Amino acid sequence: MGMIAMQATKRSLFKALTTSCVIGLLAGCAPASDTAPAAKASAPTGTVSAAADFVPAVAAAPRLTPAQYRATVTDIFGPTIDLGGRFEPDMRIEGLLAIGSASVGVTPAGMEQYDTMADTIAAQVVLNPKNRAMMIPCKPAAENAPDDACAKMFLTNVGRLMFRRPMTNAEVTAYVSAANVAATKVGNFHEGLAMSLSAMLSSPQFLFRAPSTIKVKGQLELDAYSKASQLSFFLWNAGPDLQLLNAAQKGDLNTAKGLENQVTRMMASPRVEAGVRAFFADMFHFDDFESLRKDNLIYPMFSRQEARDAQEQTMRTLVDLLVTNRGDYRDIFVTKKTFLTPALGAIYRVPVVNDRPNGAVDPWQSYEFDASDPRGGILTHASFAALHSPANRSSATTRGKAIREVLLCQKVPAPPANVDFTLVNDTTIHKTARERLSAHVQNPVCAGCHKITDPMGLALENFDGAGAYRTEENGEKIDASGTLDGKTFSNPYELGQALKSSPAATSCLVDRLSAYALGRKPARGETPWIAKLKADFAARGYVVPDLMKTIATSPEFYRTAPIEAVQTASAQ
Amino acid sequence: MTNLTSRRNILKGTLGGAAVTVGLPFLDTFLNANGTALAVTGQALPTVFGTWFQYLGFNPGRWVPEKIGAGFTNNIELKAFDPFRHRMNLVSGANYFLDGRPVETHRTGAQIATLGGIPTGRESGPSVDSVIADTIGKGTRFRSIEVSLTGSRQSYSKRAGAGTNPSEVSPESLYKRIFGPDFQDPNASEFKPDPKVMAKQSVLSAVAEQRHEIMKQLGASDRARLDEYFTSVRQIENQLAMKLEKPAPLPACSTPGAAKEIEPGEEVEQVSANTKVFSSLLAHAAACGQTRVFNVLMNTQGSRKPGSTNQWHGYTHEEPIDEKLGYQKEVTWFILWANQVFADFVHTLEQQKEGAGSVMDRTLILWQTDHGYARTHTMDNLPVITVGNAGGRFKTGQHLPFAGDPATRVGLTVMQGFGVPMGTWGALSNQTSKPVTEILA
Amino acid sequence: MKARTMRWLLSAGVAGIALAGPAGVAQALESRSYVVSYFSQQLNSREGDCPGGVNPDDQAGQNAVILENLGYKPDEVKAMMAEWAKGGDGEQRIEAIINARAVIDGQQVNAYTHPEATKDPGLKQITSKVGYGFNLDGKDNEVAFVDPQTGEKGVDNQLSRAIGCNQNFRGSWDAPSAYGEWIWVQLKDSQPAWLITISGEDIDKDGPVTVRLTRALEYLKSNGDGSPRHFMTYRVDPDPRSHNEFKGEIKDGQITISEHKPLSILWNALSSPVLNLKNTHLRLRMLKGDTLDGLLGGYQPWTEIYFAFSHNGIVGDRPGLYWAMKKTADADPDPVTKQNMSISTAYRITAVPAFVVDAPQLRYQSAEVK
Repeated sequence: MGMIAMQATKRSLFKALTTSCVIGLLAGCAPASDTAPAAKASAPTGTVSAAADFVPAVAAAPRLTPAQYRATVTDIFGPTIDLGGRFEPDMRIEGLLAIGSASVGVTPAGMEQYDTMADTIAAQVVLNPKNRAMMIPCKPAAENAPDDACAKMFLTNVGRLMFRRPMTNAEVTAYVSAANVAATKVGNFHEGLAMSLSAMLSSPQFLFRAPSTIKVKGQLELDAYSKASQLSFFLWNAGPDLQLLNAAQKGDLNTAKGLENQVTRMMASPRVEAGVRAFFADMFHFDDFESLRKDNLIYPMFSRQEARDAQEQTMRTLVDLLVTNRGDYRDIFVTKKTFLTPALGAIYRVPVVNDRPNGAVDPWQSYEFDASDPRGGILTHASFAALHSPANRSSATTRGKAIREVLLCQKVPAPPANVDFTLVNDTTIHKTARERLSAHVQNPVCAGCHKITDPMGLALENFDGAGAYRTEENGEKIDASGTLDGKTFSNPYELGQALKSSPAATSCLVDRLSAYALGRKPARGETPWIAKLKADFAARGYVVPDLMKTIATSPEFYRTAPIEAVQTASAQ
Repeated sequence: MTNLTSRRNILKGTLGGAAVTVGLPFLDTFLNANGTALAVTGQALPTVFGTWFQYLGFNPGRWVPEKIGAGFTNNIELKAFDPFRHRMNLVSGANYFLDGRPVETHRTGAQIATLGGIPTGRESGPSVDSVIADTIGKGTRFRSIEVSLTGSRQSYSKRAGAGTNPSEVSPESLYKRIFGPDFQDPNASEFKPDPKVMAKQSVLSAVAEQRHEIMKQLGASDRARLDEYFTSVRQIENQLAMKLEKPAPLPACSTPGAAKEIEPGEEVEQVSANTKVFSSLLAHAAACGQTRVFNVLMNTQGSRKPGSTNQWHGYTHEEPIDEKLGYQKEVTWFILWANQVFADFVHTLEQQKEGAGSVMDRTLILWQTDHGYARTHTMDNLPVITVGNAGGRFKTGQHLPFAGDPATRVGLTVMQGFGVPMGTWGALSNQTSKPVTEILA
Repeated sequence: MKARTMRWLLSAGVAGIALAGPAGVAQALESRSYVVSYFSQQLNSREGDCPGGVNPDDQAGQNAVILENLGYKPDEVKAMMAEWAKGGDGEQRIEAIINARAVIDGQQVNAYTHPEATKDPGLKQITSKVGYGFNLDGKDNEVAFVDPQTGEKGVDNQLSRAIGCNQNFRGSWDAPSAYGEWIWVQLKDSQPAWLITISGEDIDKDGPVTVRLTRALEYLKSNGDGSPRHFMTYRVDPDPRSHNEFKGEIKDGQITISEHKPLSILWNALSSPVLNLKNTHLRLRMLKGDTLDGLLGGYQPWTEIYFAFSHNGIVGDRPGLYWAMKKTADADPDPVTKQNMSISTAYRITAVPAFVVDAPQLRYQSAEVK
């Protein structure tokens, strides 16, 4: 490990562990005295009550996503820890991986990976002498024998961060005795400790965010630590930090004021960017870039590097507009401001100067498309054009479907079986996509859906399957006009403007963001709250961080239903 | 602990029913019907990893299959691979990235292929095979075996730091090394269980009850998800239990007859003949559990026809492109020859029978080369080939165009498939954290 | 096509593209830039253009000839070559004899660094009358070619005549020589790219233009399949040693220069540290897809060409190439010896569209400390 890497580790550990010493809450200063549930430390006073007609649903128990797992390990053990494994694929439900993550278990192959990663991480933390010196607050009485006091000090320390709550006494006993047995068997304290830490890393308490509930004034809500988790994963896409855990312990999260203080603090942190990125990557299906492939002969410019750059361009555009400048969400469809790399500049045919030396890792430059440029808004980004196209051509239908489903939260039915696609694919008779599709929809079975998707998709035909601009297809001029909900447009930029004024676009964002935050689709009984969020979003000028804050400070966000109710409901 | 698969349970399950064995030869009774696992313990036969490095690439336009994905057909130059096409994955369009470093012809490509980047200075990371050997080769007599087919002891198998595993050039001495006096029948050896495995087992046992506590917090549907988690944990426990048992006997192990070589050298006949002996030795070594990793270096640069002073490498630069054919005739002869040598090598592993299957069924060979087009030393449009599924750890039969992705993605994929806990591999532009998911089973 | 070109120009303008040039630049209404995507000596091999076939076309054959020229008898040569072919010490022994075949004051010295001290093996030269290039001296003579593309007579390309009968230098317009392609592949990813900027009133019409040839700070950027990437952005290296500007014109879609000044541009150690041309000529055809294809020619110091050959290890009798170029050199007579020091040549040059911007002046830190 190089010097710089070591320093980074040091800093991170310092953050995680020494801070705890300063405020005197964690082991290392005062070993594991806080194993009692927070509720006892400070009885909840109840947050501001929710709307009267609000009926909560059971809280989700999501499995950590790969990004969340990585962030947690980095937060606790430092950025130089190599995970040394890979994750089983996520599942998308109702348009979001976040919802899918609350529906997946762990497959045997996935468990092997968790187990391997746990061993690898634990070995780096405990067995690497440099890391050990910083991360383990004590030395064993003897290197070749168990030392329960030292094991307990370390395990309760990290356990609180990993389980996102203090460990129970029973847990402490179990993991300390595990370390003891293992150390005895191998004749080495640290190897035993590493094995116990590894078991913690592969435990369901770490891998799953199972909610704990508590009754306050007759209403069931998440307990303070579960609140902290829900809040932290929503805003930062990472587990709670020490300050948030401490706030939970003190009962602050159970008061409106205390909750707001924490939300304000967290929203002001640069870590919000990771949270916003995670949400939009999920909403925009950017995970599909992993498997996106383009025909090299047709799109020689679009390799995996450009695919990466294209995603990052859209992400930077969103973060800059929505977070840095607190702009209007609707402007994502029209903004001319973006960020480009020289490689993307070649696809967009605009100059992008990289002033850094050859091979520099950060080639990003801010860029603004000029008024005459047909580009503007995320629909005209290469990320959208390329992601929603097959390997070898553009597809007005796929793109139209994506606009409907991803950006407007509308459902487009799947095509019926036994459809003859010859006309759509034959470019000899019908040169442009518009001609081919209009020939195709002579079939009345198809016409219904294509009416929903094609007019918008055809407006993007000026962009080929890899996002390059074109005015002709097979020698014929491309007609990019169409209508959306009664608004007509004649080019991709005007389509963006039509989307900007579509109420479905902002409504969809609220639906997705709230579902993302909850890890499940809001239940019918929760619609009054969603309606309130939508009204609030509009009233406050469609500022996404404000919407996040509103969700995070809503009492409804933390309300839950008893699990028995679900069992009854599902039995019916 | 009742969940643990004890030897007795499995015996009951597998043998309790039917038709075990009257009349079958003794050795094969250990194998199940597919020859993939040992009936007595249910343990899968160990996986084997091999590398094959062959210089000078192929001719552009003559090896990339037309069809993408599954069911591709080998293009004209790879027809020799037809018999095992179903075992192959063919990556086309891969790149070695220089990042501004000059091409050290025939060397830089090999470094990127095997090490994931161009080393600066003497120190370099371990090569793919060493990394895999550290995962699957522990406890075998030879962590890995290196052979060079053309008489030089050169090798691309590197340990971390600067150590290089030198190649064996003589089949006769390799025979002595493996099957000489030091050879011990693997089926008779002693066994000592690993205390670390025992420790891990007891750790899982100690925390099992606490892990189950989470169920109390969950509703019915979430409990079903966690049931899957606990089932998966039991698999881990089973694997640990198996590691504590005496390793599976290797019933297909047999000693080959003494190896006969012709003097190692660079003439094509020398190479062809000695490769046959080497391949048989490696197949027997794998069958007898002597090694799980082998590296074959086919340094084709000096290859020449008998009596000729013209070498393959010389031809790549000096031979004019045949105007009628559109490619270099002599060079192409050598490519087809080398591919046949490789095909014969694979065939030999397929002939090393284990039950109904063969050693090849539990092997994966990673085939790589130095340049996309040797005539001009290109570092793009490279082929990378895998052969074999290593006992079902990989999916096969696909043509995967890379469109300029780093070739190192294949190395990463193979390492991951063999269980190496590695998320990212390679340096600078050759760095990748994206395995080829189409290949991973 | 026009619309796209306009976008390209427009965007360039928006980004504040300054026209590269050492001196003040005339206000041009339009300018288009390109990055050089291929550059190598243009040869024109034809059936029967080397009487009796090319010079020995492999290292073994070449070595045998060299040994014969050194005075070894045929059976000695045969034995020596068998020893060479086995590799190892024998190969090194024979190589040493071949390498040290130059003689100065009775001492054997390295032939590649002292080619003048070797015996001229009299390599064969091209006898064909057809060849690519430019009529540099405005005259026709018996060694001049007729250019198959332009029909121009009196074409001076003595370099192609001198080296063209060696297998590595056999090439045509459609199939570059092995040497040419090899050296380009070596250089393209590891040397700063060369840039061309054409400026004029309306580049889609005939008329006067200014042509600039400069060097970039970046390497040529390629696509995943190795093809040159269009519309990348390059910065002009502020180093004035690589700034060249010529008056020229566009006629029938072809760019030529009318000002035949010297050209100088930093190149690469493998080819030559600097490309120096006198009496520079250029013709570039503007092709579909906004690319350029043509020739750059002029008189080049042939010793610079020789020392590139000599150290990059090309196969063949390298000192023999020295003699071949020395004998065919056709310009710059040395005032004392009358030996021509430059040779006429023509390089194939292709380019793809690019954005070109001025790099900010580099700041050099003073070497003085304290």
